[in-house]
Amino acid sequence: MSLRKLLLRLPGYLGASGPPRRLWRFPALGPVSSVGSGRERPSRSPAHWNQVVSEAEKIVGYPTSFMSLRCLLSDELSNIALQVRKLVGTQHPLLTTASGLVHDSRHNLQLRGLVVLLISKAAGPSSMNASCQNYDTVSGIYSCQRSLAEITELIHTALLVHRGIVNLNELQSSDGALKDMQFGNKIAILSGDFLLANACNGLALLQNTKVVELLASALMDLVQGVYHENSTSAKENHITEDIGISTWKEQTFLSHGALLAKSCQAAMELAKHDADVQDMAFQYGKHMAMSHKINSDLQPFIKEKTSDSVTFNLNSAPVVLHQEFLGRDLWMKQIGEAQEKGRLDYAKLELSVCLQLSLLLLETSLLLKDGGRWYFYHFRQNMAPMVRLSTILIFLTLSKWLA
Amino acid sequence: MASCRWPWRRCCSWRPAARSPGPASPGRAGPPGPPSAADAGAQMSYFNLVKSLTSAFPNRYSMSRFHHTTSAVCCCSKTQSGEKYTDPFKLGWRDLNGLYEDIRKELLISTTELKEMSEYYFDGKGKAFRPIIVVLMARACNIHHSNSRDVQASQRSIALIAEMIHTASLVHDDVIDDASSRRGKHTVNKIWGEKKAVLAGDLILSAASMALARIGNTTVISILTQVIEDLVRGEFLQLGSKENENERFAHYLEKTFKKTASLIANSCKAVSVLGCPDPVVHEIAYQYGKNVGIAFQLIDDVLDFTSCSDQMGKPTSADLKLGLATGPVLFACQQFPEMNAMIMRRFSLPGDVDRARQYVLQSDGVQQTTYLAQRYCHEAIREISKLRPSAERDALIQLSEIVLTRDK
Repeated sequence: MSLRKLLLRLPGYLGASGPPRRLWRFPALGPVSSVGSGRERPSRSPAHWNQVVSEAEKIVGYPTSFMSLRCLLSDELSNIALQVRKLVGTQHPLLTTASGLVHDSRHNLQLRGLVVLLISKAAGPSSMNASCQNYDTVSGIYSCQRSLAEITELIHTALLVHRGIVNLNELQSSDGALKDMQFGNKIAILSGDFLLANACNGLALLQNTKVVELLASALMDLVQGVYHENSTSAKENHITEDIGISTWKEQTFLSHGALLAKSCQAAMELAKHDADVQDMAFQYGKHMAMSHKINSDLQPFIKEKTSDSVTFNLNSAPVVLHQEFLGRDLWMKQIGEAQEKGRLDYAKLELSVCLQLSLLLLETSLLLKDGGRWYFYHFRQNMAPMVRLSTILIFLTLSKWLA
Repeated sequence: MASCRWPWRRCCSWRPAARSPGPASPGRAGPPGPPSAADAGAQMSYFNLVKSLTSAFPNRYSMSRFHHTTSAVCCCSKTQSGEKYTDPFKLGWRDLNGLYEDIRKELLISTTELKEMSEYYFDGKGKAFRPIIVVLMARACNIHHSNSRDVQASQRSIALIAEMIHTASLVHDDVIDDASSRRGKHTVNKIWGEKKAVLAGDLILSAASMALARIGNTTVISILTQVIEDLVRGEFLQLGSKENENERFAHYLEKTFKKTASLIANSCKAVSVLGCPDPVVHEIAYQYGKNVGIAFQLIDDVLDFTSCSDQMGKPTSADLKLGLATGPVLFACQQFPEMNAMIMRRFSLPGDVDRARQYVLQSDGVQQTTYLAQRYCHEAIREISKLRPSAERDALIQLSEIVLTRDK
C-alpha cells in the first residue's frame, strides 16, 4: 500500500469507532456528543477547532484565566497598562505581543491552560489516595489544578513578553527613536518579570516541591528553546542551520513541548496519581504541543496558493524535513536558485515534504491516540474532548494536505 | 533648620498607619512576633528613630547637636572593627569553598553561549556578601538551637540560591537601566545584547528555583518566593515617583527594602527555619537581615556620591543619571528646597545631574544617610545579640559594622 493511500485511510483510523465513540454520547457532555458522534467525520474547518475549544471550556466549568482578580487589581498591572499606552506609536514588539493577548482571534491563547484542566478532569481523583478527596473540586477539577493551569499560562505569557526584547545596538533608523525602544525594553522586562513572579508565587502556594521542580525545569527548557529560536531566526545570512529532524524535535520540545508536558505531569502529581499516569500525561502534553507546532508550521504551505508572497520560517518542520530528504547540498542549491528568482518554488518543496511530514504526524497522532485509548479504559469519559481536540488538530493538518 | 525637619516626622508618623509593605508579611510561615518589631516596615525603625530623636531632643539646637555627634560614633565603630574579631569573610568562606563551581553546576545548559552568559557573573570576583551572611547566620542559628557545629547541606544551598537570585536580578536590572559596566567589567547586555541577556536572567532564576525545590521544604520555598515578588515590586516602585514630598522618603525606604533587604532578610530566615524550629529565632534572623540589608543599600547610595568609579567597578552618580532620588538627595532636598523641581523631573534637564550632585555634597545629606544606615545596623546588632554567643554571631555583628565602613 502506498503511503498516500495509507494516509487517505487515516481519518477513518483516527476517528476509530468503538468505546470512545460511544463515550462521547455521555449526556453530561451535551453539545459535544451531537457534533462529534455519528457516522460523519468531524468537520475540518478552523471554525470547528474553535467550537471544540469552546466546548472544552464548558466541560472544565470555566476556562483558565491568568488575569486572575488578584493580578488585575494589582498596582503593578495598572502601571504596566499605563506604560504600554506610552509605547503606542512606536515600533516596539511589546505592542504586538500585548495586542495579541487582547485580541486572541485564533483561540490559541489559553490553550495550554485548557489542556491542563482537561487532563485534570480526565484523570479525576486518584483511587489510591483518599487523602486528597477533601480538596475543593469545581466541575471535577481540584482548585490546585486550576492554579496550575493559570501558572502554566503565566509562564508561557512571560516568555512571550520577554521574547519581544529588541537589541539596541542592532536598531535601524526605521525603528524609530532609541529612547522609545529603551523604554519598551524596560516595560517588557518588568512585565515579564511580574508575570514570572506571580507564577512563582502561585507555585509556592501549591505546597508541593515536586510540582515546583517540574515547572521550574519547564521554565528552564522554555528559556533554552526561545534562545534557539532567537538565534536561528536572527542569522539572516545562514538561511537554515544544518539540522536534522531529530534535532528539530529536540529544540521544538524545549520551546513548545516542555511546558505543556511538564504541566500535564504536574497536574497528575497534584491529584496524587502514580508515576505511570504522570508519564502518560507528560507524553500527552508533549505530543499535543508538538502537533500544534507542526500544524502552525504547515500553515504557509497549505494556504491558498494564489498568493506568492507567503512567508515561512526556514527552520519550520517542513523545510527541515525537506532539507534532510534532499541532502544539504541540493537544498542549498535550491535556496540559491530561489533567491535568484526571488521566491521559493513551493511545488518542488511540497511533494517530498508532504510525505515525510505526514509520517511524522502519523507517528505523533498514534501516540496521542494511544494515550487517549489508555485513558478511556482506565479513567473517565471526560477524556473524550481531549482526544477529539488532538484528533481534530491532526485532521486539520492532514485533510488540507490530502484535499 | 527645625522647620524643614518637621515634615519628616509627619511623613513617618503617617507611615505605620498605612498598609505596611513587604516587611509586614515576611513569609507566610512566619511567626506573628512582637507587634512593633515584626510588623513595622523598614519605615518603622526610622519612625522610632525620629520619635526618639524628637522626644529626646525637642528643640532645634539639640537636634543639630545630635547630628553633629553622629559622625563621631561612626568613626568609633570603624576603629573597633579592625581589631576585635577575626575577619567575618574568612570565617564565612570556610563553608563556601567551591561556591561558584557549585553554582555553575546548577546551570545545566547544553548551549555554550547561553552557559557562558549565565556563568558570566559567577566568576568568583564578586564580594559574595549575601552567601557569607547566609552561612554565618546558618551556623549562628544551629549553635543557638542545638549547639551544633555543622552547616546543613540545605542551608548551604540557600547561600547559592541567594547569590543566584541576586545575580538574575542584576542581569535584568542592567538591561532595564541600560548599564554598561558592573564589577569592573562589561555587562551581559553590552556583550551579548538585550535579547539574550533577558533570557540569561530568566535561566538563572529557573535554575535557582529548581535548586530551591530540591531542598524539599515548602516553607522555605514560600519564604524565598517572597523575595522574587519583592524584587519585581521594588523595580516597579523605582519606576514611579511620589509627588508628595512626605511620601517620598517612605517610598524610598520601601523600595530599598524590596530591592535589596528582602533577599537578605528572607534568606537569613530560610536558613534559620532549616536549622531551628523556634519562630522567635526565625524572626531574629529576619530582622537582622532586613536591617543589615537596608543599611547596606543606604551606604551603597552614599557611595554613589562619595566614591570614584574605579573603586566601585561601576560609574558613580549612576542613580542621578537614572533619574532616581536616593537617601542623600532626599536629605539634601530638606536643606535646598530648589532640588524639588529637579527630583520631580527626574534630573532630566542638561546639568541637573551635576547640580544635584553639588547640592548633595554641600548639604549634610551624605552624613545623615550614613547616620540612618548606622541606626539600622544598631538595630541589626540588637537583634542578633539575642542569639547565644558564637564566633559566627560575633562575625555577623562585625559584618554589620563593615557594611557601614566599606568604601566599595
